[in-house]
Amino acid sequence: MEPEIIIASSPTDAGVSCWDLRTGAEHLRYKSCASPLHGLTSIAGRFLASSQVRDAKSSTSGSILYWSWNKSQVEVRSFPAEPIRPIACNNQGTYIAGGGISGDIYFWEVATGKLLKKWHAHYRAVTCLAFNDDQSLLISGAEDGCVRVWSLFLIFDAVRREETRNLFEYSFHEHSLRVTDVKTGYGGCNAIIVSASEDRTCKVWSLSRGKLLRNVVFPAVIDAISLDPGEHVFYAGGRDGKIHIAALNAPMSQNSNNGPYVLGSLAEHSKAVTCLASSADGFLLVSGSEDGMIRVWDTRTRNIIRIFRHAKGPVNNVMVTKQPQLLNPRTSASTASSRKQALTLPPSLEKFANAPDENTHVKVLIGGQDPSNGITDSSYVSVQAMEAQIRELQQKGSAAAAEVDVERLKNDQLRSVQMIQHWKTMYDDLHQFCVDELLEDVRTERPTHQNL
Amino acid sequence: MSAPEAMYDVAMKPKLLRSLLREYVPDEKHPFTNPSELSYVVSAVKTHKLLSERTPPEAQQDLVDAWKSAVDSWVNRLLALASSNLPDKCWAGICLLGLTSQECSSERFLTSYDAWLNKLLVHIQPSEVSHFVKASSCASLSDMFTRLDDFSNVKKDATSLATKVTQQSLKLLNEENSSVVLEEAMCLLRTLIDFFPSAVHRHYDSVEAAIVSKLISGKCSPSVLKNLGHGLSLLPKSRGDEDSWSLMMNKILIYVNSQLNDAFQGLEEETRNAKAMRALLPAGKEPPPPLGGSEASEQSSDISTRNPERLLASRISSLLQCCSDMLTTPYPVMVHVPICGLLALAGRVLLVDGSLPLSSYSFMTTLKQEFVCSEIPNMQFQSLEILTAIVKGLGSQVLPYVAEIFELLKEYLSRCKIPGLKIKAYSMLKVLLISMGIGLAIHVSQTIVSNVFVDLDFIGIEKDVKSSGTNTKGPPELSKDFHYKKRKRSKVSLQEQPAQGGLEGEMSINSTPISVKIAALEALQALLTVGGSIRSESWRGDVDKLLMTVATYACRGGSKEERKILLSGDAMPTWADFQLAALRALLASLLSPGRVRPSHLALGLQLFRRGTQATDTQLAEYCGHALLALEVLIHPRSLPLLDFNSCGDGYKALGHLRDPVYPSGDRRIPNRQHDEPESEEDDLIENWHGKDDEMEIQVTETQDNMHCADKPMDPADGLTSGADKKNEVTTSENGLDNKSIEAAHFKTKSDQSRDMLESVELESSNGKAALVANSITPESGAASVSETAGNEFSTIFERISATLSNIDRSNETTFEADDEAEDIFPDIVDGDPDSD
Repeated sequence: MEPEIIIASSPTDAGVSCWDLRTGAEHLRYKSCASPLHGLTSIAGRFLASSQVRDAKSSTSGSILYWSWNKSQVEVRSFPAEPIRPIACNNQGTYIAGGGISGDIYFWEVATGKLLKKWHAHYRAVTCLAFNDDQSLLISGAEDGCVRVWSLFLIFDAVRREETRNLFEYSFHEHSLRVTDVKTGYGGCNAIIVSASEDRTCKVWSLSRGKLLRNVVFPAVIDAISLDPGEHVFYAGGRDGKIHIAALNAPMSQNSNNGPYVLGSLAEHSKAVTCLASSADGFLLVSGSEDGMIRVWDTRTRNIIRIFRHAKGPVNNVMVTKQPQLLNPRTSASTASSRKQALTLPPSLEKFANAPDENTHVKVLIGGQDPSNGITDSSYVSVQAMEAQIRELQQKGSAAAAEVDVERLKNDQLRSVQMIQHWKTMYDDLHQFCVDELLEDVRTERPTHQNL
Repeated sequence: MSAPEAMYDVAMKPKLLRSLLREYVPDEKHPFTNPSELSYVVSAVKTHKLLSERTPPEAQQDLVDAWKSAVDSWVNRLLALASSNLPDKCWAGICLLGLTSQECSSERFLTSYDAWLNKLLVHIQPSEVSHFVKASSCASLSDMFTRLDDFSNVKKDATSLATKVTQQSLKLLNEENSSVVLEEAMCLLRTLIDFFPSAVHRHYDSVEAAIVSKLISGKCSPSVLKNLGHGLSLLPKSRGDEDSWSLMMNKILIYVNSQLNDAFQGLEEETRNAKAMRALLPAGKEPPPPLGGSEASEQSSDISTRNPERLLASRISSLLQCCSDMLTTPYPVMVHVPICGLLALAGRVLLVDGSLPLSSYSFMTTLKQEFVCSEIPNMQFQSLEILTAIVKGLGSQVLPYVAEIFELLKEYLSRCKIPGLKIKAYSMLKVLLISMGIGLAIHVSQTIVSNVFVDLDFIGIEKDVKSSGTNTKGPPELSKDFHYKKRKRSKVSLQEQPAQGGLEGEMSINSTPISVKIAALEALQALLTVGGSIRSESWRGDVDKLLMTVATYACRGGSKEERKILLSGDAMPTWADFQLAALRALLASLLSPGRVRPSHLALGLQLFRRGTQATDTQLAEYCGHALLALEVLIHPRSLPLLDFNSCGDGYKALGHLRDPVYPSGDRRIPNRQHDEPESEEDDLIENWHGKDDEMEIQVTETQDNMHCADKPMDPADGLTSGADKKNEVTTSENGLDNKSIEAAHFKTKSDQSRDMLESVELESSNGKAALVANSITPESGAASVSETAGNEFSTIFERISATLSNIDRSNETTFEADDEAEDIFPDIVDGDPDSD
């Protein structure tokens, strides 16, 4: 299995810490990061990005910082037009979406830092953002309790935007308080969206129908949710310090002390659980807590198998990602040289959108980030060429084939001419010989006649 | 060496090589008559790795030497041949030298590549007469450089050689006109660009000029043009920086645009030209130097050939193809893709329809119009290629431009009438849908559906299907028709088919070719896959109906007219392809969840089931897959879950019926209680669970029974299993594993149902057998199975227990009895006396 790492950050300036999920070894600690909830992301494993909201007094400005995996210092700083809290990045790492405190959503292109679009999404601050599994929809949650689904195609289609009444595809209003987290699962257009809110509920929505499928009531406010990769259950981290397990597809038990759909809980935290993440195979669940600890749970046994200490203050973001190559000193030397652009970070994100240009360029790495694409599949050609030529020779169709034939015929002719010469001389010799013989005979005969 | 191993014996290889050399490889003395012998030599060398000289470490020295000397003489012969003044022998030597450079051992290659290379280099001089020799020298050189790339220790030497070869091949490119040679020379250059970019780097401009002048000369065959275009697209790689790529792209686009101006003069509004130019070149920016240097540009402006439009079109097409190549071949660094320029050019070509605006009659001769119109499809095809390449090359970054691309495509689809282009447009739609996902599908579904409806000729087909339904051409005909399909494929004449064909042919003479229908079905399938259940209310019902009708129609064999068209061409898709496409789309429509259970499920299943009977075809394979996929639809299930309380490995828990954590099976009890709805809004999942529970209850009950039966057995359990093991071991020695294990299992089960057996278990097997037999009879009666069945069971039980008792004594009896037991075993399970 590919090694995975845990990344964690906190609202206090404790940096971003990074551990190996399986071995527990600590990697670099990236400095000067104070992230808001959902404000930390890895851009397709190429580098780290985090939005920053320092404190209340400078609430008119925020920033987004980039770290490359092999340096602990901030490398790129961007200063958006307003403080951005949640950020999300699509799978390929080509776009960053950021949710502003005014309720606007910002959509940047990573490679150029261009602000491609900005639209007013919510009446209050955006609290969480998520891309769906085919990266064509953006789901946002906000302080006004609203969850909205946006089609990125529509966002960029000027003509259709005019025609449609609403820019969003769906707007879910059932939450009565601030939405704290939103996650979505597999299944294309049949996927589900799970949202958590301060109203102590998590709601499961159907993407295809745009309807509420299930309402799960918890004993405490839920700040973080994580879907089991197989979507049997989802985990909800509560302010009561428990990670509640709620059924999606799992058979449900009618336990009196839990509400409906709540199957049980993982409890060890003394303080509120603020963030959750799941490993790729779904067997490990990582939780961050206000007590500054990060716990790794085995979901099958419901036991803690590892505890990391991030900082004194609360942890508010944890992530599990595949270990980036640059982090591993052994392989980085070989790969870094071959893929230069992995080392250099893209420019900072722009503050304002430019007017649409008639000759815009898209900065893109053709062949993608996947190193296997870079390998040109070369092949040996001579045998193939030879076969083609043999075919041509046999068909005697082309000029080139005829030419070879001509050469051969010329050669044959030459040989034949030589042969003729040879025969000729031989014939001449023979003729000469015979004539000589005859003459000889005649000469010898004549005396005999005379003798007779 | 023993005879059977001779084929793999290393000692054979030198001998084989020598005999090849003696019998098949031409030599200087004898004339070389049959060139096809060479391909035999090549295949023999490749299959047996005759040149590898890879001996196992334990091989004796004389074997190593023998092989080495054999390869030595092989190489010497080739070199001699390559210096022959007879072109055919020289050619043979060069070809085999190319083979040798890929097949020989590394040591040999490293010591001799220099000599070989120089040998070959002689033959690509312009003085060489034979085209074949030149071409094969290029190919062999290319192979040599491909191999050289594997050795980093000779990189420097190789690069200097590559520089030399680059010059030579450049000369060839400039002076040669034969397509065989040009193709191979381009191939050689491409290899050099790939592996020794620095060698080409020095001649960058002259290579560009050479390729471009050939490209626009209009004297090359299409395959050479393609090759040249590909070479040009790779050229920036030799520099490997961002600017060269962008410069090349810009040069090409601007050149194409100016050529388009010439070609479309009077055929389109002037504004489009200006718009495209603005997109290509921002105001106030210096235009890049002309493509291929100034010389080539002079050449291009000289259109004095007999058919200038033809020339223009071929230039435009090959350069557009070069653009798509540039967009899709991986490049080492990030580049700026001039997306707006590309889209403007593609749009310009796609939206031209050859009609004359009234104002421009005066400028335009009708002759020119005719020529341009005949060339437009080719250019449009390349433009569609460019759109596909943009989507592919830019990946997710194409998002801001998808709307524009889609509008272009939509517009084009509504105008396009040429099948080949329509197919391309549909496949482009498919690519877009799959790469852009739901977000796009929600908004464009209506367009796709309406286009597909027209192209699939829904009304015609429906009429056809219905009429045939009344003509007693109902489903029973179907299976016959599949057999008929097979006959058709084996070239049995169409006349053999009874009147059916004639009747239908009159009814629907369909204008849309089958290949377009296939493309339309594929696009529809993509739509259903990506967004079949989101906001699909308006079209979903119609599409489902359409697909069912089309699939039925396809499986029935369609009309005679359509099939006739199909049989004419070779590369054309066959009717089987159409069937497959129809069934694929049908499966997507069945699987993509809608509001209700698909109404055509039964008919669909029938089609798939019939399809599986077409043995050994792709159709049968696909139908099998479809049935598997649909099974979930028929029996919705949620598999037993990992238990959150269980600490064991999940897989083990699933594999065993007897759950160690829940010996009494209590985890199912809450399940059954849960039948009452929990909340009204959860209809979807509720429905699901409703069904699930029923299923689970059934499973549960049988499991429960087994568990219950388990309990009283506990003290003897170990003993029983001990006995089981013994049985298994003894019988498996006879190679009867499965049967005996089944029998053994059965025995355990019957044992478990009785308490009285506990102690007897240990006694002599004879006694035990009797007891089992006795105990079974009343049990089966109690199970209220019919009387005869009961009797049957009891006799079977008797037999089995007798068998078990006999196991230790005689193995033969086991064999017979087990055979019988296996035959009837399924019945026993069904009529398990314990269930209910």
